[in-house]
Amino acid sequence: MPATRSSSAGAVWAILRKECRSEWRTRYGLNSALLFAVTTLTSISFVVGKIADRTDILAALLWIVLVFAALASLAHTFVREVEGHTMTMLRLVASPTAIALGKLGFNLLFLGVLEAVTVPLFLVLVGGPPLHWDRFLAVLGLGSVALAAAATLVGAVIAQTRGRGALFAAVSLPILLPVLAGAVSGTRGQWNGAPIGAELRLLGAYAAALLGASLILYDHLWEE
Amino acid sequence: MIWKVFLFAWIAAGMLAGFLWAPVVPVLGATTRVFYFHFPAALVTTLAFGWSMVHSALYLARRDLTHDDHAAGAADLGLLFCVVATISGSMWARAMWGAYWNWDPRETSVFFLLLIYAAYLALRAAIDGETRRARLAAIYSCVAFVTVPFLIFVVPRIYFSLHPDPLFGRRGKPDIDPRIMLVAAWMFAGFTALFFWLLSLRVRLGRVERRALKGMA
Repeated sequence: MPATRSSSAGAVWAILRKECRSEWRTRYGLNSALLFAVTTLTSISFVVGKIADRTDILAALLWIVLVFAALASLAHTFVREVEGHTMTMLRLVASPTAIALGKLGFNLLFLGVLEAVTVPLFLVLVGGPPLHWDRFLAVLGLGSVALAAAATLVGAVIAQTRGRGALFAAVSLPILLPVLAGAVSGTRGQWNGAPIGAELRLLGAYAAALLGASLILYDHLWEE
Repeated sequence: MIWKVFLFAWIAAGMLAGFLWAPVVPVLGATTRVFYFHFPAALVTTLAFGWSMVHSALYLARRDLTHDDHAAGAADLGLLFCVVATISGSMWARAMWGAYWNWDPRETSVFFLLLIYAAYLALRAAIDGETRRARLAAIYSCVAFVTVPFLIFVVPRIYFSLHPDPLFGRRGKPDIDPRIMLVAAWMFAGFTALFFWLLSLRVRLGRVERRALKGMA
């Protein structure tokens, strides 16, 4: 039915706009993620200086900074609703899938902003420019989609548990490890001029599998 | 009772056959016998995690807590078999590659798998209310199993691995003595039966616990 589809697309869009607006009001998540990224980058740069020739370390550092800077705030999208007691209200106006998709969109946007600041800074302070911008950005993009998909689903689950904050990293990191491994290997390969088709396929397939599973599972997120 | 004794005899016979009857592979020498524990344990790990995922999906569809008992028990036992596969593989790696652990792609992916299912158990422990725990854990279990094909089948084939090709490998028929294959299959049957027996205990325990809680209330 086209009517339902357009209305649920409208709901997703409304949730996304609401997320952006409430984030913009406090900028709590973005500020802390950016501060984390900049502080970490500064300390790395201070300790090791520029290491453009050590591509293995560069790739690992880049992704560790990105993932850890993002993790703390990605869970926040759902935890905020639970702690502010607004979850019930939100569920009255939209389906679980629409809510989760809206928040997934916001998390993707959030990662985009975070990367737009962190990655250039990283390249200037610690590493050199990528050899192939297209491959570099492809790894970054696919890695971010997988990261956002995993973090959104786990964040929604974690928001309903005891000790949410501590548990989120412990539960989402194992699922993110394959992403981290593929992304680090792809980023390093790109710097070394090696082919990275396998890594791109791995990241793409993993992101697609996570997104597919999420779309099926979102409906079961809330019940009582 | 009789089945327990039979299972014990079955696995003991497999072990004896592995040491006394089946030949050793020339290069591997005595380490051939690690295969009789490593291979069945690795297969049962996959089976257990798959079982957990199927029952998680069934729970989400039917909301019957018995499925949750199956899912939790299978994940628990899968973790146990995964540890057995990891330790036996690590011992073999020490003998053949010279180090217990060197982040070979297969070692890496099995380690990821251990972490993912350990996180599943940590998640279960942190949720109050049995229906909510069952529902949220089922969601996580389904996501966790999405990673399994990647970790077990994709990653070790993308990156160069020293690990011998698994039996359903890419290159034709395995060149292994049929007696070794028979003992491995025998042990696999034994490990599978062991898994389902332990699982049935877990499921019964879950049912009894629920009944006792209901009796108290």
